[in-house]
This record gives sequence, structure tokens and C-alpha cells, in this order.
Amino acid sequence: MKTIAIEVLLGAGVLVTLLSVLGMMRMRDPYQRMHYIAPPASLSAALITLAIFLQRGFKPESFKALFATVVLIGMNSVVTHAAARAFRIAELEDWHPENEEVPIKPSDKMIPEKTS
Amino acid sequence: MNIWELSAQVMMFALAPLLWTAMRGDARHRLVSFYMVGTVITLLMMLLTIAFDRMPMMDLAIAMALMSFGGGIVFAHFFARLLR
Repeated sequence: MKTIAIEVLLGAGVLVTLLSVLGMMRMRDPYQRMHYIAPPASLSAALITLAIFLQRGFKPESFKALFATVVLIGMNSVVTHAAARAFRIAELEDWHPENEEVPIKPSDKMIPEKTS
Repeated sequence: MNIWELSAQVMMFALAPLLWTAMRGDARHRLVSFYMVGTVITLLMMLLTIAFDRMPMMDLAIAMALMSFGGGIVFAHFFARLLR
């Protein structure tokens, strides 16, 4: 039973990664492509870590895998945001939203002030 | 071959299209592929550690995760300032 659970978890983790890579290849815009980094970094890593816990039990290597998964989940959000911001700065010289991009009134205080 | 080795070998196929896009196209596509490669290699390290039963190799997965984080931040910073 444990072996079947490990196989299912590993298969799901690898499948999520492969499908994410295929989805990334399908997208043409780098902003769209960045979304496909999230499933391997969160779901696949969590599934593989769970399989490692089932295989090895509460051993140091299992907790190391858990730490690597936590780093991956945290890293993904920060790095994706930093990359999207860098792409926008490279395109528009400024990452702040332009007025026509904001779905609320430009006079609203929620819009960050441009610091030029 | 156990299930861990098989999973690692299948996972390696994910690297081929990523390496292809990391070598061609504009810089933004290459940078996104670089991030994805870092994530996939970290997962690969975790699988290979259990597959080969070499538990200290799990430190490589942690090192890879941490270094791809630092590298990603640095590349994003320099992309905005210099590489565009």
C-alpha cells in the first residue's frame, strides 16, 4: 500500500512538471510563461517531499527535502515578481501601472505615486 | 531500476525543451527558462538522492534551491538595469 502511494505521488509530481514545461513552451509571452514555474515549484515539490517522507520516514533527509520545498515555494513567488518587475522596467522605464491600465479611478489613493 | 530512478529519468526529459529555449529567443524568454531549469534540477536532485541512496546528496538540492533564488534575484536586477 505504501509503495503504491509513493508511486502515485511520484507519478503525479513528475506529470505536473512535464505538463508545466509543455505549457510553458506553448506560451509566447514571457509574462504568461512565468506562471508555469509555480506548479513544479509548489505542487511537484510537495508531492515528491511527501513521497520521500513515506519512503524514508522522519529522517534528516526527509526534513532536508521539506526545507528545499519551503525554499522553492518562497523563492518562486519572490523571483517571479522580481523578474516581471524587471521586464516591465526594461520595457517602460517604470514598473508603476499606467493610467489606462488601472481599473479604478486615477485619482484613487490606492494607485502608487510615480517617483521620477 | 526503482520508481525513483524512473521518475528522475522522466523528469530529465523536461530539461530538453527548457535548455533549447534557454539558448535561443530574446533575453526575457531565456531568463524565464533559466528559472524553470533551476526548479526542475532541484526536484531532480531530490529524486536522485533517494534513487541512489546517498542521503548527503540532499544538501545539493538545498544548495541548488538557495542558489537559484539568489541567481534569479541578481539576474532580474541586472536585467532591469543593464541587459535590456
